[in-house]
Amino acid sequence: MKTMTIKLAMAATASFLAMSASAWAGQVVWWTPNFNEARARQLVETFQAANPGVTVKLETTTTDGLPQRILTALQSGAAPDVIDVQHAWVNGYAQNKLVVPLDEAVTEREDYIPAALQYNTWNGKLWGAPYRIETHAIIINRGDFKAVGLDPDKPPQTWEAFADAAKKLTVNGKSGFAITGGGEVGNTIFRSLPFMWMLGGGIISDDGKKVLVDSPESEKAVTFYTDFFKNHLSPSSTLENDGTANRRLFIAEKVSMYQSGQFDIQSIRKENPKIDIGVIPVPHPEGAKTAVILGGWSLVVPSSAKNPDEAKKLVAFLSKSENQAILTDTFPARISAMNAERFNDPILKVFKDMLPFGRPVPAHPNWVQISQAYFDGIQRILLGDESVKDAMDGAASEIEGLL
Amino acid sequence: MQKQSTGYLFILPALMVLGMLIAYPVAYTGLLSVTDNAGNFVGLENFRRVLAARATPIAFWNTLWWVLGSIIFQVLFGVMAAILLNQNFRGRAIVRSVTLVPWVVPGIVAATTWAWMLHTEFGIINYMLTAPGLIDKPIGWLTNGNTVMPVMIAINIWKMFPFVAIMVLAGLQSIPNDLYEAARIDGASFWEEVWYVMLPQVRSVIVAITLLLVIWALNHITIIYAITRGGPANKTLITPIQIFRTAFDGMQFGQAAALSVMFFGVAIVIVFIYIRTLASNPEEAR
Repeated sequence: MKTMTIKLAMAATASFLAMSASAWAGQVVWWTPNFNEARARQLVETFQAANPGVTVKLETTTTDGLPQRILTALQSGAAPDVIDVQHAWVNGYAQNKLVVPLDEAVTEREDYIPAALQYNTWNGKLWGAPYRIETHAIIINRGDFKAVGLDPDKPPQTWEAFADAAKKLTVNGKSGFAITGGGEVGNTIFRSLPFMWMLGGGIISDDGKKVLVDSPESEKAVTFYTDFFKNHLSPSSTLENDGTANRRLFIAEKVSMYQSGQFDIQSIRKENPKIDIGVIPVPHPEGAKTAVILGGWSLVVPSSAKNPDEAKKLVAFLSKSENQAILTDTFPARISAMNAERFNDPILKVFKDMLPFGRPVPAHPNWVQISQAYFDGIQRILLGDESVKDAMDGAASEIEGLL
Repeated sequence: MQKQSTGYLFILPALMVLGMLIAYPVAYTGLLSVTDNAGNFVGLENFRRVLAARATPIAFWNTLWWVLGSIIFQVLFGVMAAILLNQNFRGRAIVRSVTLVPWVVPGIVAATTWAWMLHTEFGIINYMLTAPGLIDKPIGWLTNGNTVMPVMIAINIWKMFPFVAIMVLAGLQSIPNDLYEAARIDGASFWEEVWYVMLPQVRSVIVAITLLLVIWALNHITIIYAITRGGPANKTLITPIQIFRTAFDGMQFGQAAALSVMFFGVAIVIVFIYIRTLASNPEEAR
């Protein structure tokens, strides 16, 4: 263990030296994920042309292991000036004073989707500048629908109808609806927590004071979710599948429906053009509204940034409506930016329609461990080790100790 | 006296580097284990919390299985392979090189490859078993609570036995030929040669390697983390992974440090007992 700590510390030090030692006055180092690179570079050029004294050094990151990498950078005190992070991480940084407020950089707040701002707010201040938002919907294989006599243009709306459709679609070695039960915890949180919300349940309450995971509503939702696997409507590999694995199964035409975001559409089209892709809303219980988790990305400026003023200037520039429309991979956080041409593709319509139902995940300092406890419970159910009630009671007692 | 202090002066730079790279992290981990994230002293609170966590006892037992299972078979297969590679046969040089491959492959590459080979749906292993009809339907190697840990151990054995083989082989080659000749004159069979000549001669090598293997298995992360991240439902969670998760996923550096300190203690005890009983007896080790 000791050697590991040492190795980690050394590797971390080395990479920081390599990454940020070269910053000088007037230079802003910006960490952005690799999928943003081309668009970010284009924006950097525009920014530099308008601000002759400032140069932006773009450094790309990869999403795998990104939270750990950013956290080590923030805590080491040798961080870049601007970092792209997921909304849900911002609160933790703010509470630990690792980032600075961005109230002056983010203006025209009425133009933002409220949940995106809510994610980045703590203690009455705004700690991150949201620029990208997205939600899940259900991606379907329209050909499979037709083959079993279902109408893809009149998709199932309620839980009951949806489970029925999944059952009908489970023929010839295909699985009707793939849920996730493996990979990073977040995969399963994104896909199952909204079902709890629809019934008024949840993992913890929004104020983070009460455990809800063992409430009858939450257990009903967990039963709905895990039954897809128990009733063999989700692939037998469910326990090792994350969102990416489900996409691969969909591309291989082994799965007829799965939950995901619009970023999957392009790769499905590219890898298996034969599939007639459809998108339908996430089903809701009879008489209740649907719900989804609002995800996405924000920009933060670390407390240890070397050039915080220039960094804020860059953040303000990127927060302009027209620039958000360029930078985002999915949808922009600003309502006016949504008018851009690229968001008018008809396949995006359902994803856009789901945005108003998007809610932030609860902001709790121990959220990662709380969601891990819940996820372990889900896996115990899928393994057949415990009933839904026992698993959620177990998760509840673990979460109780974390609040 | 004079001479001795000059000696200290000479090793001072090395000591300082060692101090910075070893003593400081160890001491700092100890300090972290009794403070919260803001740096306030909290006494044994971190220890209490981490011991109360549901995952801790599970991880402890998993670690025990993981270490025992890995070590026994790594040594067994390693020694067997070494004896085999010590024989004279055509193409021995090639076989010796090929044997090393698992050890040379980077851990993360090997782990990811195995994860794909073992996948229920796409995996080649299930394909090879179902295609000729050996089994009816694919086995969920990584999703079945009973198979996932043995599979992890098997991968670890595959990864490390070549190292044992090569080290033991080096030991075998240093055995003087006279011993074999003497044994043969006495009418020893091949197995008697293995038992009475080879094994006693390489005993010290095996003892030293086993110690290394125990330490490596105890602080192992790569294979399990890359394949299952400790899941499903903590079935493959071993203590080092729990420490990693607590620190870098959960941001609970104090609790992770507390667990590290306890784990360090246990590891020290195991290593100490091992050295006392096996390694430090010169009469035995010869």
